Amino acid sequence: MAGIKDLGVGIGWRSEIDLTVERLPGVDFVEVVAENLHIGHLPESVTLLLERGVPVLPHAVSLSLGSADQVDLHRVEHLGAVAEAVGAPMVSDHVCFVRAGGLDSGHLMPVPRTRDALDVLVANVKLAQRNLPVPLALENVAALLEWPDGELSEGQFLAELVERTDCWLLVDVANLYANARNIGTDPERFLDEIPLERLAYVHVAGGEQNGDIYHDTHAHAVLPEVLEVLDELCSRVAPPGVLLERDDNYPSDTEIAGELAAIRAVVNKHRG
Amino acid sequence: MAAPTTARGTRLPPEQIGYLVAGPGRAAETALARLLDADLVRVSRDGLVSAVHQTELGVSTAVETFILVNLRRAVRFDAVVRNAAKSAEMRTLHQQLRARRLTRDPRPRLAAWWVFLAFGVLLSLLAFLEPWTLFGAVAFLGVAYWTFGAKPLTRAGRAALKDVTASDRVLTVALEGFRGRIGNQSVGELFGLPQSVVKMLPRKKRKARNGGAASAAGCGSGCGSSSCGSSSSCSSGSSSCSGGGSSCGGGGGGGD
Ligand SMILES: [Fe+2]
Repeated sequence: MAGIKDLGVGIGWRSEIDLTVERLPGVDFVEVVAENLHIGHLPESVTLLLERGVPVLPHAVSLSLGSADQVDLHRVEHLGAVAEAVGAPMVSDHVCFVRAGGLDSGHLMPVPRTRDALDVLVANVKLAQRNLPVPLALENVAALLEWPDGELSEGQFLAELVERTDCWLLVDVANLYANARNIGTDPERFLDEIPLERLAYVHVAGGEQNGDIYHDTHAHAVLPEVLEVLDELCSRVAPPGVLLERDDNYPSDTEIAGELAAIRAVVNKHRG
Repeated sequence: MAAPTTARGTRLPPEQIGYLVAGPGRAAETALARLLDADLVRVSRDGLVSAVHQTELGVSTAVETFILVNLRRAVRFDAVVRNAAKSAEMRTLHQQLRARRLTRDPRPRLAAWWVFLAFGVLLSLLAFLEPWTLFGAVAFLGVAYWTFGAKPLTRAGRAALKDVTASDRVLTVALEGFRGRIGNQSVGELFGLPQSVVKMLPRKKRKARNGGAASAAGCGSGCGSSSCGSSSSCSSGSSSCSGGGSSCGGGGGGGD
């Protein structure tokens, strides 16, 4: 895909840390939550980053591509408009559903890994792709439950999704780690099964263990174990980009810079 | 950086210098500047200030603690300064400065000051008829001036500010405020703050309090350059920002 190679190391742009993102050294690209942006009134900070030549990638959280209902084309249209406003080479959302039967879950819910659910997902992804001006990448989510009667592993499910829709993959290694802790996903098997040549970029995030459950909070430090999953991924493929997601409880600039440096060190380790 | 001292050799922290230079608002700005400098709070482009950690680790004064504990949720930049300036902690700081005879209670000018003036003039005119009233007029005007016209800084307070220079960015805020300028650079820029944020604060002249004692001329050329704009090189009073360069300009008590 033209223009997506070598994104480098980036961070999720959030208004709370806009000045931090602007002044941190080593921010090669940023991701914005598409639903938070208004076309025609981009945040000054985002405009400034664009003027500096920093790629800005829209990331959506509300397409609900795994819903049995048809994808809402107004949301797809908004995502496409944000992509055009920031000149993004691609957009992304998740392999999940966030609403059903008129109700909003308020959370990225995993889809059942059945062939029927895959058919629904494929239909929605294809419809979204037809209405988007740029390629679409889809991200694996952190799940606290697995639906019964699954027919495919998560890796197989994503591999078939890519094969049938030609979408790109956004691999969140923190979600992969969370799933390993909470529902027994094997990260190595996952990485063996997905088509790594369709990897758009990677997410890294922090979380915390709470009792028996690991919560992918995006509000805590990145665990070394998550970096180990990134390391495993990098041993197989050089990711075009790796992005740190932080959504709350923002640490100091120094700490954020440290996390970005740690990510860069893992990536560079495999670049020789 | 050499810490500024009073005439008796006691160290005077930046927050107290800010108070002596321009009152509780400036002291509050200085406390906020110190927290920014220590990476304990952050400001966003829309002017919201938030605590970096939900602890009070790293605070060094009661006013700083007041600011931090009230930043559990983001607060507007100007409201942070205003609230701190009105806090009980700030009143305590004032009392400490007063106890050390560096400042005295402010004597705000009464709205009806002209009544006193008119009465004094009347007494003076009466002196043409009854010369003895001249003594009364002089005494009355003298008491009125002492009561309503005295500046808050004592001689010791002015002496404490005499050799204070903007040798780091926190002291620069104490002397000039976030809205001040140092050379051709806004003081806010030393902290990487956009003008839209800095302009949330009311502009305040410093001349009224310090009578031109303190000086910004001590800020070396490094503080006036963009190299200090958002880095920490100003924060610790490193050599890049101290010294006696003249390029910062804006020295003396010219206010603005
Ligand atoms: Fe993610």
